[in-house]
Amino acid sequence: MRILLAEDEKELSRVLVTAMRSQGYDVVPVYNGSEAVDKADHGVYDLMIFDIMMPVMTGIEALKKIRSTGDQTYVIMLTAMSEIDDKVTGLDAGADDYITKPFSLKELLARLRSLERRSEDYTNDVLKFGDITLDSNEQRLESFNSISLSAKETKLLNLFILNANKKIDSDILIDHAWDNDDDIDRDTLWIYISYLRQKLQSVNAHVEIYGEKGGPYQLINTNGGDSNDSEVSL
Amino acid sequence: MMEIYGEFKPYLSQIKDDVMKKLAVLNQQEIEKNKNKLYEHLIGRVKTEDSMVEKCQRKGFPLSPEGALRECKDAIGIRIVCNFIDDVYRSIDLLKHADWCEVVKEKDYITRSKPNGYRSYHLILKVDTPYPYIDGNTSGCYFVEVQLRTIAMDSWASLEHEMKYKHSIENPEQIGKELKRCADQLASCDVQMQTIRQLIHEND
Repeated sequence: MRILLAEDEKELSRVLVTAMRSQGYDVVPVYNGSEAVDKADHGVYDLMIFDIMMPVMTGIEALKKIRSTGDQTYVIMLTAMSEIDDKVTGLDAGADDYITKPFSLKELLARLRSLERRSEDYTNDVLKFGDITLDSNEQRLESFNSISLSAKETKLLNLFILNANKKIDSDILIDHAWDNDDDIDRDTLWIYISYLRQKLQSVNAHVEIYGEKGGPYQLINTNGGDSNDSEVSL
Repeated sequence: MMEIYGEFKPYLSQIKDDVMKKLAVLNQQEIEKNKNKLYEHLIGRVKTEDSMVEKCQRKGFPLSPEGALRECKDAIGIRIVCNFIDDVYRSIDLLKHADWCEVVKEKDYITRSKPNGYRSYHLILKVDTPYPYIDGNTSGCYFVEVQLRTIAMDSWASLEHEMKYKHSIENPEQIGKELKRCADQLASCDVQMQTIRQLIHEND
């Protein structure tokens, strides 16, 4: 699991990073909200953990900015025990959960394990982006029409939607959709990207995957508003 | 039995055969240009007079050649069954540019399938013929309905047809849901085959 941690208290950050890395997580630490927004814009994470009170830009402001770009990554806020308003503001700004400070490392690591189980068992059931809906349980893509997806296509599209508008490298896509032991190269990924492109087109979606063979690839909402009626009387 | 087609009945199956021959010519021309064949097979039928009477009654059209051949536009029907989705659109394009017919109506149920999962592309053609028509013209224009679809869409439609006309199904809702899921999977295969074909010919 790849985690973005934004915590301005250097000592706390160091402890958290060490603890999470010791469990095998890939952690990227930043020290204010603005850096968090920047990292989130350019990278793909499975989880983001933000402190609220930070210099330059608060965790709440950073979260709002990140959500406004279409990013739907799971976010946990670190809030002070006494500040009920912080929890409410955080959740309303688009956070998925919060942990109150001071917290024990044991609790944090248990939450990460819980989250990991959940995302392995059920990737988000139904995701929407632009005029498309992805039902991951049913492996179905819907827009003005519907079509089945393979397991890999579903995983790829799931990641694309959670990280809409970001340029995502081939290697990250391969890591997410295929097990490590599969022998997958960029050419194979290109075939799956091609399937997804044609399927998006076949359901009449105003959503496209940009990018040349080899990547990076980017999910874009191209909605121009015209609904392209299917019945034409000449 | 009512003879709703009247004196025009004998022309209908001749027109059906003539149009099928013209489609075969279009196919031959494509093959001569070293392109893939347009379609896998063609089938044609003239709607039985009983069905036509029933349809005209249902739609409130006159029970006459006027109702059957002008108000209804599917007395003559031809189905073009293709290997790949691209072939469907190539066929439509050729029909739109053919000098012996005019496309007067089209419905694209491939881009927007019906809620039950039905996929097909329907065209109504107005075809020049050497036969008399109800308007008194000795070389009249007849309507022909053309349905274009892939083999997968065609098999699905046969299955759905079986369900529709079997009234004693125990769990029609569940079967309907499974049919819809199957339609989405077939569409997925059609798109997948189409994509692979394009990848093969990427550098042509």
